Parts: sequence; structure tokens; C-alpha cells
Amino acid sequence: MDEQELIQGCLGGSPASCRALVESYGNLVISVALNVVGNRQDAEDICQDTFLQVFRHLGRYDPARSFKTWLLTIVYRRSLDMIKKKRRFTEFSVRARFEPAVAGRGGNPHPVDPEPLPSALLKGLSPRERTALCLWANEGYTAKDIADVLACSASTARVYLFNARRKIKVLLENDHGLLQNS
Amino acid sequence: MAFCKIADVLYSAIPLRPLRDLLIRKHMEACPLCQARLASRAEARGLFVAPEEVGNAADLWGRISARAEQADETSGREPVQVGSGWRWAAAAAMAAVVAVSGFWLLRELERPGFDAAAAVPADRFQIDYINVGGAPAQTFVYQPQGSDTVFVWAQKTP
Repeated sequence: MDEQELIQGCLGGSPASCRALVESYGNLVISVALNVVGNRQDAEDICQDTFLQVFRHLGRYDPARSFKTWLLTIVYRRSLDMIKKKRRFTEFSVRARFEPAVAGRGGNPHPVDPEPLPSALLKGLSPRERTALCLWANEGYTAKDIADVLACSASTARVYLFNARRKIKVLLENDHGLLQNS
Repeated sequence: MAFCKIADVLYSAIPLRPLRDLLIRKHMEACPLCQARLASRAEARGLFVAPEEVGNAADLWGRISARAEQADETSGREPVQVGSGWRWAAAAAMAAVVAVSGFWLLRELERPGFDAAAAVPADRFQIDYINVGGAPAQTFVYQPQGSDTVFVWAQKTP
């Protein structure tokens, strides 16, 4: 079954088509989410949310566009939501650490630090830069495709990519230097 | 190399994002030194988890279908209906309160005692307070004997 048949099957409410769609794109969705948020559990949650949203709004999908890009747009937005949620929780935890009154209202007295990214070097990039670099490196996306996912102009996507590649190069060189010195 | 660093600093000072992006992009595309300082696709790929490295997400479809069913049940549930009679009664009570308080306020304002001019006798000069710079000022009032003229001097409280 090709992609369009799968989509038509999903629109018709066929569980077999929905299952096939999840099996075709599940790993891609988890890997992109994992590369953006840096945590396996969160990535799987994002994956579930993404597919639920896909099945709910599949009618809005424009067949003239790439399904994969449409799917990755949802993954990216869900990942940003997750990062924001985590950041709010971290801020609350930090406050709770210094203000016992906040902890008493239900805050976690042992704040959970953000999980490490697949590579610690990626922490130096913003979520947009991480996404742009991940799509370019793993999926072979062009600036135009990245722009579709990030909802920005191709020129801006190219700048994100340039910045990400430049930062990573510097970090890799520093990392290599540190390894050699140690 | 020094020029590239200076350009970076100058570009980051430009507040207009599209213009900044355009200048950075033009510079990066044209500058061989900057091109050499970019990580290659292979270098970048080494940092990311590829889809084939994710492994089988345990029962992904099972979890998604369970959540979809749960969401369907929630959305299919009849919303709790608040009796429309109560809503009408609350709206009528609110309208009655507004009408009664408006009527009372109107009557109070129309009473002669509420007339500001009538509240102060015509032969008496009265100032409640004077503010200078948002704070109560030091105020001096002087009326020469046998004169209708009143001098008021207000200055900022030290």
C-alpha cells in the first residue's frame, strides 16, 4: 500500500491503515522528537500526541504537499510545546527549592534536571537550530523543506542551519581538543 | 577571519531579523573561511539518533489506539447540562439588582444635598487639598480683610 492509499484508508477509519501509518513513520517521529527534546520518554509521548493529532486532523492535510513534511511540522510543534512545559516545570522546581511555601503547595522538593540530549554538544543549539540540523543531517532536507517544518522563510532556515553547523564545528573542535589534552 | 568576527558582531546588532538573516546568509555563502568553519553533514549526523537506531518502540500502535479510544469516549460523553431555568433566574435577578441600584443612585444625585455648589455656603472659600507633583502640597491661603480676593500659594512639600 502506498502513502496516499494509507492516508485514504485512515480517512475512511480503517484501523489497519492507521496501524500501517504508525509503523511506517513511528521511528522517524520518535527520532526527530528525541533529537529535539533529548529524552526518550518525552519523545514517545510526543509521538503518541503527534499521531493522535494526525488522525484527528488528517482531513486538513493537503495532498499536494509532502506528508512527511506535514507530519514533521506537527512533531516539531509538539516538541516545542514539550520543551516549554519542561522549562516551566524546571522554573517552578527552582523556585520551590528556594521558596518552601511553593513546595508546600504541591511542588516537587527534588527538582528533576532536564535529561541529557543524545549528544551533550546539542545543548549548545536552540530547538530551532537542532531541528534544522537534524532534518538536514538525517533526512537530507533542503532549506526549503526545513522552512516548511519550522514555518519560516527559506532564508531564515538557511541561517538557522549555518548557525547550527558553525556552533557544532566549534564545539566538536573544543571537544576534540579536550579529549587530546586529557 | 578577523573580518568575519567583526561582521558577526555587527550583524547581531541589527534589530531587523530579516535584514540580519539576509546579511548573515550572504556573508556565509560568499566567505570561504566561514564555509570551512561549518560542520559537515557526516559530522552532524554523528550527533543525532537516526530513525533506524530508535529500535522498536514497544507497542506504539497499541498505546496510540488506546489513547484514541479514550479520547473518543471523553468527546462522546454528553456535557453536563445546567438547567436553563436557573440561568434565566440568575440573569433576571442580576438585571433587577442593576435597575434598583441605578434608580437609587439617580435619586441620590438629584437630591439638593448632593449639589456641590449648595454643599458649601456662598460666602465661604474652601479647598479640600492641592496636589503638586502627585503629592499633597504645602498650601497657604491669604484673604486681605474686607476684600473678596483670595490668594492661594501652594508649593511642593519639602
